[in-house]
Amino acid sequence: MEQFEQLLTCAICLDRYRNPKLLPCQHSFCMEPCLEGLVDYVRRQVKCPECRAEHRIPYQGVQGFPTNVTLQRFLELHIEITGELPDPTSGQIMERCNVCSEKAYCSFCFHCDKKVCPDCKGAHMDILRREICRINNQIRRSIHRLQDSLSLVERNTQSIQTNCSSVSEEVEEIYRRLSKALKDRTDYLRGEVDRYLCTELRTLTGLKENLEQEISNILSNCDLADKHINESVDWDDCELMDAKEIFLKTVEFIRNFEYENSDYGRKVRLILAHDPNQLVLHVAGFGDLNIAHQQFGGGSALLQPPGGGPGLMRSKSDHRLASQFRQQEERGYDKSYGEGGQEDLPLGGRKFGDRTTRPTTANTDRYDRYGRGGATDYGDEYEETTRPARSRYRSRFNRHAPAENDSDTEPATRGVRFSEQHKEKERTLDTEEVTRGPLSGIQRLADSPRVMKKLQENETNKKKEKENPPLQPTTPPKATQPTVKKPPLANRQVSEDDEISKIKKQNKGATTSTAPPEPSPTVTVTKRSDDVEDRHANTRRTPAPEAASSDEDSDASESSVQQTQRKTTKTPVVNRRTPAPEPAPTHKKATRSTSSDSTTSTESSASSAIRSGAAPEETKPKYTPRVTDTTPERTRALSTSTPKGSSNQKTFQSRFLPNRTPTVVPTPPSPKEPESSSEEETESEEESDEDTPKPTGTADMSKTDIGALLARSAHARDSSDSSPKKDEPQNTRSRYEDSPTTYSRTRSNEEPTYTSRFMNKNRTPSTTTDDTKTSDDTDKYSSPKSRYSALKDRRQRLARSKSSHAFGDDDETDEPISPTTANPTAYMQSRGYSSTTSANDLARSRSSHALKSRENSPDRTTANEKDGAALSSWARYLKNKYGNRSSGKDKDSGSGTGTSSGSSASAARRLSLGLPLRSSDVGSSDDDQKNMSGSPTTPTAVTVAAAGIAAAAAGTSPKEQYLQKSNLLFKIGGRGSEPGLFTWPRGVAVGPDNSIVVADSSNHRVQVFDANGNFLKEFGQYGNGEGEFDCLAGVAINRIGQFIIADRYNHRIQVFDPSGRFLRSFGSQGAADGRFNYPWGITTDALGFIYVCDKENHRVQVFQSDGTFVGKFGSMGNKPGHLEHPHYIAVSNTNRVIVSDSNNHRIQIFDVNGKVLSTFGSEGSNEGQFKFPRGVAVDDQGFICVADSGNNRIQIFHPDGTFLKAFGSWGSGDGEFKGLEGIAVTPNGNILLCDRENHRIQVF
Amino acid sequence: MAALPRRIIKETQRLLQEPVPGISAVPDDSNARYFHVIVTGPEDSPFEGGLFKLELFLPEDYPMSAPKVRFITQIYHPNIDRLGRICLDILKDKWSPALQIRTVLLSIQALLSAPNPDDPLANDVAELWKVNEAEAIRNAKEWTRKYAMDN
Repeated sequence: MEQFEQLLTCAICLDRYRNPKLLPCQHSFCMEPCLEGLVDYVRRQVKCPECRAEHRIPYQGVQGFPTNVTLQRFLELHIEITGELPDPTSGQIMERCNVCSEKAYCSFCFHCDKKVCPDCKGAHMDILRREICRINNQIRRSIHRLQDSLSLVERNTQSIQTNCSSVSEEVEEIYRRLSKALKDRTDYLRGEVDRYLCTELRTLTGLKENLEQEISNILSNCDLADKHINESVDWDDCELMDAKEIFLKTVEFIRNFEYENSDYGRKVRLILAHDPNQLVLHVAGFGDLNIAHQQFGGGSALLQPPGGGPGLMRSKSDHRLASQFRQQEERGYDKSYGEGGQEDLPLGGRKFGDRTTRPTTANTDRYDRYGRGGATDYGDEYEETTRPARSRYRSRFNRHAPAENDSDTEPATRGVRFSEQHKEKERTLDTEEVTRGPLSGIQRLADSPRVMKKLQENETNKKKEKENPPLQPTTPPKATQPTVKKPPLANRQVSEDDEISKIKKQNKGATTSTAPPEPSPTVTVTKRSDDVEDRHANTRRTPAPEAASSDEDSDASESSVQQTQRKTTKTPVVNRRTPAPEPAPTHKKATRSTSSDSTTSTESSASSAIRSGAAPEETKPKYTPRVTDTTPERTRALSTSTPKGSSNQKTFQSRFLPNRTPTVVPTPPSPKEPESSSEEETESEEESDEDTPKPTGTADMSKTDIGALLARSAHARDSSDSSPKKDEPQNTRSRYEDSPTTYSRTRSNEEPTYTSRFMNKNRTPSTTTDDTKTSDDTDKYSSPKSRYSALKDRRQRLARSKSSHAFGDDDETDEPISPTTANPTAYMQSRGYSSTTSANDLARSRSSHALKSRENSPDRTTANEKDGAALSSWARYLKNKYGNRSSGKDKDSGSGTGTSSGSSASAARRLSLGLPLRSSDVGSSDDDQKNMSGSPTTPTAVTVAAAGIAAAAAGTSPKEQYLQKSNLLFKIGGRGSEPGLFTWPRGVAVGPDNSIVVADSSNHRVQVFDANGNFLKEFGQYGNGEGEFDCLAGVAINRIGQFIIADRYNHRIQVFDPSGRFLRSFGSQGAADGRFNYPWGITTDALGFIYVCDKENHRVQVFQSDGTFVGKFGSMGNKPGHLEHPHYIAVSNTNRVIVSDSNNHRIQIFDVNGKVLSTFGSEGSNEGQFKFPRGVAVDDQGFICVADSGNNRIQIFHPDGTFLKAFGSWGSGDGEFKGLEGIAVTPNGNILLCDRENHRIQVF
Repeated sequence: MAALPRRIIKETQRLLQEPVPGISAVPDDSNARYFHVIVTGPEDSPFEGGLFKLELFLPEDYPMSAPKVRFITQIYHPNIDRLGRICLDILKDKWSPALQIRTVLLSIQALLSAPNPDDPLANDVAELWKVNEAEAIRNAKEWTRKYAMDN
């Protein structure tokens, strides 16, 4: 038998013959690789290894030699006799392994998508197993993310429930109030009409009766006179005289009566404070639900699928991301399915075949069952998952990996790909009845039939082993006997080579009587891992007996490991064991790299989740039913201001003047009530019946029984009655809805500080707002008379609308009110009204920022503070910006309708942004919006603005203005640390009230001067605490007067309220989003977004006003869009972001997306060239001023970047500079300049 | 390194399982293609009683090319030089894939029994062997005692 076998063994490969070829010398060898390897290709000969005979090779190669059929028959016979399994590779053709390039019977390896030899495949499977372990560990470590999410989702569920219920309550409340107000008013009006009708009827019937009597009397008189006043009757003179008197009197009566007659023709008309349509519209749309989009902070790059815009993607929640991921995945399947349609069957079939051979042996049955049969049975989804072209895994995974398992970034792409692929395969195996994660589509392995089967097989195998333990000693010798001699050697040999390929077969003989948890498996497992060389060495040095057994054990452990891996759920003991030894090799590597990743990712996701959780919550308080609280207060506010107006109606109520005039500041309404009512009494009976405290017809509207809301809009409307701006009420209303609580707070809590301020300050803007409202064009400014006349008209209308019969005959005397007296009255009146509205507006706008931060901060949710501001996503922000701009264009075009729609739209949008509304949405033009109308303005600002407008009207273009520059107007400061002196001033900015704000860098403080350079205040000191600076650089003031400071060496941005109190800070040193490296210039735009020149990071970062990171652009370099040490930044009102790209000696203009719009300038000292430009400023016309630091001059450019003017030189005199820093332009065109080395500010 | 060809594994196993009398070949721990070989001096030869260490390396294309074999122990033999290189046809042009490690080693053992001074590698030894075979044999015995019997 021995010899028989020897005869069947090829002399070259020492294996059983495979495809034996007979040489002419009668020796036989396997065709591949034996005979093939013998070929002498040069001589086309083959030399017989046995007899050294040389034979020519047939034309078609060694295949051309005849097959030794006899030998083959013997081989078959031998198989029959011995019952040996047929060689699995028989009938296959040898190929080059794609990994080790050995010729072998290759099969497809799913790991590397290549056909590889069994050895390589074994190694690969080993790798896969280890990778699964590693990834599994990662999953275990990061699973808490999902758990966190779960708890967050739960919290969110709660919060959204409470949120919704509170909102619906609020809606209910509003509904009740509105309906009550409507009902009350309707009832009242009906009553009024009824009453009026009664009285009028009464008087009319009386009059009618009287007239009838008169007529009959007079007629009878006439008749009598006709008949009897003649010769026929003898009248004495006395009688005739009396008769004549009577007749004369009749004549007079008739003549005089005409006038009175007209008095009774009056009709009652329903005068609506609003266009009813509009009113209905307002009510119909009295509220909108603003769904808060949650904002993701920076640093969540892991969550960010590549290819998406940064902001957009960030705004997506985990959940949405996950579902998106799934869609993509499915799409991927679809695509691959579609593309790889035809080639699928063979490919898929082969894969299946291979795969089935992997765990056990080749099994054609299975092939059919799992492969083709399965594919048809399992339907669409199955096919989709089976068919994906291999190459697509990678790309698809790249897209999905972060979402699925973000700690996966560490393993090489192989491992990563593997994890996906593995799932993929499992999916293909048993997509059907598996439990799946609804979000990720990850299935439960334990549920898949294939896995179950495998585990079961394994189990049975093991049992079998356990049943006959005596078998163990007999089986090992075959492999281990020689190892006694040289244990490490054998061990190694087997473990590296044979064992891998034989694992499955040996499973039978391998098991140990011991249970899998025995420690020995762990040893062998670790030994098997190539990665851990030192362990390898250790185990090799282990004593012989153990090593000998470890050979077997390794098989056993292998099986047990496999088993435990697969049935993690089935056997808890094993389950617990395996993770312990298995992770060991991977732990070290995996933890190191993944932990950081995973933590950051979890951090970000957690924070985002928190934010998302907070978002709904925080919106709640905004809409609290505290509305009710505000009503009385507001009405009080109204009542206080309205009397002011009426008090000035001296012409007809002069006796009240002494009482009224002092009530400029709010006074309780109660004292006024008697007065006004008495006043009413004098005017009309009917009005005296009412308990209205208000003297005028318009004041009626604000009666307490009307909804305060309507009253307010009534005022607003009244004040802008004659203007075409219909949307104003809407704005005020919506504003009112938006921030009632804060408003109430202003009124109640901040009374001492704010109310007075508002009352004073708001007066002036209110006039301007009034102006803009009442006039379409600026020319109205130049002719104030028209406005007066308009107001007068209005006043007269008011008078008329009042039941003028109350005035009675007196009306005649009142009528000739001189314009001089009437106009101021009307003016004051309107002013009173409008100041009320604007006061409210401002109170609100202020509250929405300054107060919010101050008042809400005790609530401790910083998110709270963000409120609406945080609601906006980047996309929204962009939309807004452009929306705004387009509305601005509308305005420029001067079309009234465009203006109103645009502005209302922008107002609404701004509301949705949570940003403060301007008291006037329609600045006369885009330009002065920022400065003029947006913020509490002092009278000077108004005059300045007015002057600017006047200048514009007069035709003085800013260009000419700039061309005339170069003469110093005045300068501020000098070296020192006292107030008003500087040490290296850097940033400069103009406040909304034209104040000059200077970052006094090396004195670590901010100084504020008035428009004329008089010192006002300073704040800040050296340090890194709140409100402390370390060489601050840039300074900016937003529309509501907050100071935004780039605290340079502290690498953060600080925000201060208008009085210089610290509000918040954000940022720290670093290069991540929201971190800084020497932030320098800073600016803010109309929407409150903050732009920071992150100098050493060579980029610009954009934040919301609350410090939430929005976006960034720029990177180190000198190409367009690159930046190198950007120093200062400015944003035009057309949303062009102008950056001084200092080390590139140029100015770059970006759009808000960070896309380069234009670039100008190069290094040099000619016109239009720069040397290290620093400060940049842009005026309302878009002209750009550049502090050309290295050339010590100012350059002014057209909006398109063409050169306009340059002035200045080196020196310390007037108009000379040493080292320029920040630059700013005031609304009236003055240029402020930080002359650093001269420690002063120069104004041109 | 690519996995070992099955043939090498088989040969190694067989060498270990059915060792050739007088020859032992053990693969190196770190390199399965490198064998530590000990050949006993054949009886009735001047090398009788000596244990000769050799190294054997299976090149990449083994068995298509011959293994590299070299004596480590000094030996006084006309076909083996001072460096231990062996002049044996089957290790050169007469190599056949049908040969194996064990056959090679047997051939080497046979070469010890039958030195072939006509195809010399160590010329001085071959010369002496031809001129004065007795002295040569005496030298060989002495070397064997000197180098191959110490350990």
